[in-house]
This record gives sequence, C-alpha cells and structure tokens, in this order.
Amino acid sequence: MKKKHVLFVSFLCLALLIVLAAVLAPYLVPYDPFAASLTDALKPPSAEHLFGTDKLGRDLFSRVIYGSRASLASALALVACIFALGSVVGIAAGYFGGWIDAVLMRLADMMISFPGMVLAIAVAGILGASMTNAVIAVALVSWTKYARLSRSLVLKIKGCEYLAAARLTGSRTGHIMWRYLFPNAVPTLVITAATDIGSMMLELAGLSFLGFGAQAPMAEWGLMLSEGRSYMQKAPWMMVFPGLAIFCVVVVFNLLGDSLRDVLDPREEE
Amino acid sequence: MKRVSKAVAAGIAAAMMCTAMVSAAAQEHLNFGCYMYAASFDPAAYQNAAWQGMRLGVTEALFRFNDDMTVSGCLCDTYEVSEDHKTWTLHIRDGVKFSNGDDCNAQAVADSLQRLYNVCAREEYSSTPSTYIDMASITADAEANTVTLVTNVAYADLTATLCFPFYTIIDVEGDLDDESHDYTESVIGTGPYVVDSFDVTTKNAELVRNENYWKGEVPYASVSATFIEDDTTKALAIQSGDIDLTENVTTASDLATLEADDTYYVSKTSSMRTGFAYLNFAGVLGNDDLRRAVCMAVDGQTLCDVTVGGMYTYGYAVLPSSLVYDYDSLVYAYGYDVEGAKKLLDDAGIVDTDGDGIRELNGENITLRYITYVNRCLSDFAEAIQVSLAEIGINVEITNTDSDTEWNLMQAGAYDLCDSNWTTVGTGDPTAFLLNWYGDGGANLYDGENAEATNYCNYVSEEYDELYEAFTASTDVEERNRLVAQMEQVLLDDCAVLVHGYYNSAFISNATKVTGAEISTIDYYWLSSDIKPVE
Repeated sequence: MKKKHVLFVSFLCLALLIVLAAVLAPYLVPYDPFAASLTDALKPPSAEHLFGTDKLGRDLFSRVIYGSRASLASALALVACIFALGSVVGIAAGYFGGWIDAVLMRLADMMISFPGMVLAIAVAGILGASMTNAVIAVALVSWTKYARLSRSLVLKIKGCEYLAAARLTGSRTGHIMWRYLFPNAVPTLVITAATDIGSMMLELAGLSFLGFGAQAPMAEWGLMLSEGRSYMQKAPWMMVFPGLAIFCVVVVFNLLGDSLRDVLDPREEE
Repeated sequence: MKRVSKAVAAGIAAAMMCTAMVSAAAQEHLNFGCYMYAASFDPAAYQNAAWQGMRLGVTEALFRFNDDMTVSGCLCDTYEVSEDHKTWTLHIRDGVKFSNGDDCNAQAVADSLQRLYNVCAREEYSSTPSTYIDMASITADAEANTVTLVTNVAYADLTATLCFPFYTIIDVEGDLDDESHDYTESVIGTGPYVVDSFDVTTKNAELVRNENYWKGEVPYASVSATFIEDDTTKALAIQSGDIDLTENVTTASDLATLEADDTYYVSKTSSMRTGFAYLNFAGVLGNDDLRRAVCMAVDGQTLCDVTVGGMYTYGYAVLPSSLVYDYDSLVYAYGYDVEGAKKLLDDAGIVDTDGDGIRELNGENITLRYITYVNRCLSDFAEAIQVSLAEIGINVEITNTDSDTEWNLMQAGAYDLCDSNWTTVGTGDPTAFLLNWYGDGGANLYDGENAEATNYCNYVSEEYDELYEAFTASTDVEERNRLVAQMEQVLLDDCAVLVHGYYNSAFISNATKVTGAEISTIDYYWLSSDIKPVE
C-alpha cells in the first residue's frame, strides 16, 4: 500500500471514529448533557466530571460528545447542500452557455462579491437565529465555489467527441448531463467537498458563537465556546474543551480532504 | 569635567521634570469604561438620554437621592409646600452657574422645566415628564430666586420625583421650544463635567472639567467615557490598564477576580433594581395552574447565589426587600417546590400524553416563548429557568436579543416570559413601577393603539387596581407604604410576575490611580467630583 493510501486510511479511520462517537453519543456519555444541577455550577475537571461542569452545572464531557452530533450533522448537511446546488448550477451554466451561463454566473459573482461571513451573518440575522437558518445562511454564500468549479470542468469536456456522439445518437440533455458531465466533474468536486467539511464546521461554529446559530440549551461547540467566554478567567475549561473539540475535528477532516486529493489526483501518479 | 557633570545634572533634572509633568497629566485624565445607553444628551429626547447626562456628571437636578434614599437639596436648597400638596415653592441655591458661566437662577430653572414640558408634548420627543408630575404651571420669582410649581394633583413628596433625570436643569437660554437649540451631542448643565465631544455612532464621549462648578474644584481636567458593551471586556480593560474606572461588571467570576486583587477597589451596593420576568396573561400563562407551577419550578435562591454568583439578592416580591414596604410580612405560597409543581400540573390535567417529555395544554405541547437580553445577568436567569422548567416537562424557547428588539417584542405581545430590570423607586416611590400591573379595568392594557398604556402583560385584578388608585390618591406616607405592601401581596397570590431578585450594583476602580469611586444606591449617579486621582 502506498504511503498516501496509508495516510488516507488513517484519517478516514479517525473521521469514522468521530462519526461513531456522534452516533453512539447516548451510550458514551456519563450524564444527560441537558440535565442541570444548578448547585454544581463551574466545577473544575475531576474524576466525577472529566471536563468539569458549565454555569448551569451540566457535565461538560457529555455536552462536548453530544456537541459532535450537532456540529457534524450540520456541517455534513451544509456541504451536501452546497455540493448539490453548486454542481447543478455549474453544470447547467457550462453546458447550456449563452444567457443561462451569463445569468447564473453573474449571480454567483454577486454572491462572492460580499465577504462570506458578513453576508452569512446578515442572512442568519434576517432569518432568525437557529442551526437550520445558520446552515441556510452559509449555504447561500458558499455554493458559488462548486458552481464555478463544475462549470469550468464542464467547459473543459464540452467539446469532446464522445459528447457530440451522445447528442448524435439522440441522448437527451438530462441524460448527457447526468451520464457524461457529472461523472467527469465528480472527483474534483468530492475532493473540494471533503476539504470543505472542516471549514464549514468552523463557519457554523462561528455563527453559533456570535449568537446566530445554535441556541441554548443545545449542545453545540460554537455556542459552548460563547457560553464559556464570560468565564474565561475563572472556569477556562468551559472554553478549552469545546475549543479543542473543534480544533481536532477540523484538523482531521482537513487532513482527510488533503489525503483524498492525493489519492484521487492523477498527476501524482506521474 | 565640571561642565559635563553640570550638563548631565541638568539633563537628569529636565527628564525628571518631564516625567513629573507626564505623570501629573495622566493623573488629570480619567479613563472611564461604561455602558452608554443613549446616543443623545437631551433629557427631553428619551429616558436613557436624560439618565446619560446625569450619570456622566454633566447635569444635575433640583434634588438628589442619598444612599439611604432620603432626599437632599441640590440646585434647590430650601422649599415650601402648600397644605393641599399642590403648590411647591423652591428656592434656587444662590451662586450656582451653568458650565458656560451663565447664572443658574430661578428664571433659568423655570425655563428649563417649561421647555421640557413644551417639547415633550411633541411626537419627536419621547420623555414623559407628565407621567410623574402633572404640571399646571411653572413660574419664576427673580427677586426671591424661587420657582413655584403648581400641580393638578396632590403629590406626597414632589422633591423625590424631582430627582428623576427627566427634571435635570439645563441652560436653554430662553428658548422654550427648541427653535434654535439641539441638545443631542451636548448639553449645558451644572455638573462637574462638560461634554467636549460626543460621537453619536460610537457613543464615546470626551468630557472636560467644569470651571464654574458650584461645589468647588473638579479633580480631573478631562475624562474619556468609552462605551464598552461587554462585561468581560470591561474587566479585561481595567486589568490591562486601558481604563481606570468602570461600572457594573455583571459576570460574577470576573467581578470575583477583581475583588480578590488589591489593585482594584470594588464598591458594591444593593440597588433599587428588581430583575424579573413579565408573565403574559394573554398567552398560555393565563392558565392559573400552569403559571403557578412555573413559579414553583424555579429555585430563585440558587439562581441568585450560584448561577449569577451573588450579583442579585434573592427575594420574591416585586420591590427590593431593603425598602420600607414590610417585605417580611409578605407570604409567598408558590416558592420553590419541584414535586409540588409537578403534582399541581398533574392534578390540573396538564400532562404529557404522547410521551415526548413535554406536557400538553389543550392538546398542544407547552412551549413558552422567553425573550431576554444580555444585561445584568438576565440571559443567565433565562437559561437557568429554561432548564428548570424542562424538569417539570415545560419546553422553553429563548430569544436572546437586544433591549430595543425585546421592547418591541414585548409591545407586540410576542412572548410568554419577558425579562426586565427596573429601578423600582426612581421617583422615591414605586408609583411608576407598579403601573406595570395596573389594569384600570382594561383601559391600561397595551394593545398597540393606546401608546400611553403601561400594562404589557395583560394582568387584570380589580383588587390590585383599587389598591393602586388608593395609593396614588393618598398623601399619607404610612398609608401609602401599607397599600404598596398589599399590592405586592396580590401579585404574589396571583403569581403575576416571576421575580429573579434584587440587583447589586458595583463600581470598580484601579485603586492605585483613583480614589472615592463609590457606587450610589440609585444608579443615576456615576461620575462626581468625589472621584479623584490618588495623591
């Protein structure tokens, strides 16, 4: 097995471990992550509470484990959304060209002309603060990358003879797009999506930290960081453990994306 | 060699002089980090603007509250009142000048008050001086240096009401209708400091010494009042030396850190503020059993002592226990009792039939809309109450917003619980505060059309209304106090409000640089000439 495959498998295992922790969270946590014991507030890490407790006396270890559910699920849902939306728009723009291409790409240009996070904050602010709305807000400003990428990939193969042959043999547009164009764009898009999981997770955590995403009493890492901010000096564990969780998961998914690119990139073979 | 020595000595002397000058200049300047609630200094503009001038030591009123809530003369030194308590003759202290050097005499005081009433009748001004004093006439006697206020109704003690920041005295220069004056960015008062510049966008103010201050020399030549919204930022700013003085660090852990360090002096007091949540009777909380169960599920003592780390003193009545309204005689039948709350709901048939952990009322899951904002630990209370109510099977959705949005949501009735923190005896008694629950037979219930209405929670109690009317009609202090206690008891019996506790205010100063920074019981007063540089 080549080194790059070993790396990919290692990071894939780590990512699966994280996903497994999220799925099996109810069996892993020692306490109900939402059960408050007001008199046990701000207890430091101990054998009883591995990561300590928060301001409402909730077990932080349990909340960090449960937080993986919210953070992972929302990040994966977000990446799936922008992957699907961006790919469809990009492939359509590239294949049809003309005014459809012009309209779709100018729309994409408009979206990327704003600073992404600022626009996401504005959208989340208008829609109201919730995790779903945070996903929608980030999706609205992030799909353009996939659209532009898939469009350029389609333009590259648009003039190929096998596409002309397909048209000649009477293949319908939908069939050509799904059977010939999409498979050609998919590897690059998948690599982009894999590397995006980490950054999307960070953006969602950022929105939650600012109060535009997850709302109390949800266990979500960005929100937990925000809750811990006021206790930074007296109870630093309230920020340290959710922060570490974000750091570890983002690193693992970024490295997974990189190693996947190494595996799929044909230039590496040469 | 001698020349060299002389030159070195001269150099050292010059350096020392420079250092001393820089140090003196630093001592002459105060960096004050605070929450700025208003983008204006005009007392007629809106309430927070009126407070701002007084808090920053720019304006003063005719009277002022002492720490025991008794009243002392400020710009007025003596007064007389008629037997019917409708004519008040106030003698203006001789020799007082505005910061621009103009005399603050009877005519200037009368003009200032007349201008307030004149412009507040117009829509663009939001202050409501008529709410507290129903004024019939304001006249000045230049010779006697007195101002006579005639009111349409009798007031037990107008002097306490005149402490309220609406009635700060400013130099209007004879312009009674704001024809040629705008007080947004600056106002001429009689306080120790003068607004040199004010940025309405950042809400940062630069103040300079009032050279004409009637109480003597003002200690600081200049003050930078910097708007700091976040409590932790206030604590970090004073620790880093960016500011020398700040107010109300409401994060208990940050305040504890500062208290433990001798470098900082923390002045704390039990203020006249009550933190509470309105309960909206127009929603599901109109159900008596549900409302009582909500009150019983909340461990107020632990919330005050642990969750907000002692920033509040626990109490169940709407008025602070330290006031004169016989708190100890009040009986609260719906104190903390989780099992009792569950039983109450079970007996009332408010149960969870579908097994999702949330009880239902009229076939629908109970989800309470709780609106709050990040101020004086209110959002911490909201979160703790949310988890407390989850324990008895009641779902709570919190909307954590800013104070203006919260106010709009409250006016729209889009809430079940709505956090608030009120100065309860802002005019010396709770006349205004207790209007929150006065129904006036339904006429005082806010519905969007009646802008003057003050009851936003749709609470109606004939007994309460009668007591309130008797209270406002009475000028006998003992009787008024007794009526207030009775009104409090009615609210407790009806579980009409969920009281969090009584807020403890704080003033934090860098003890190596600042002395005399004591917090007032009533938070109209922040900067004063008592706050001085350390010698």
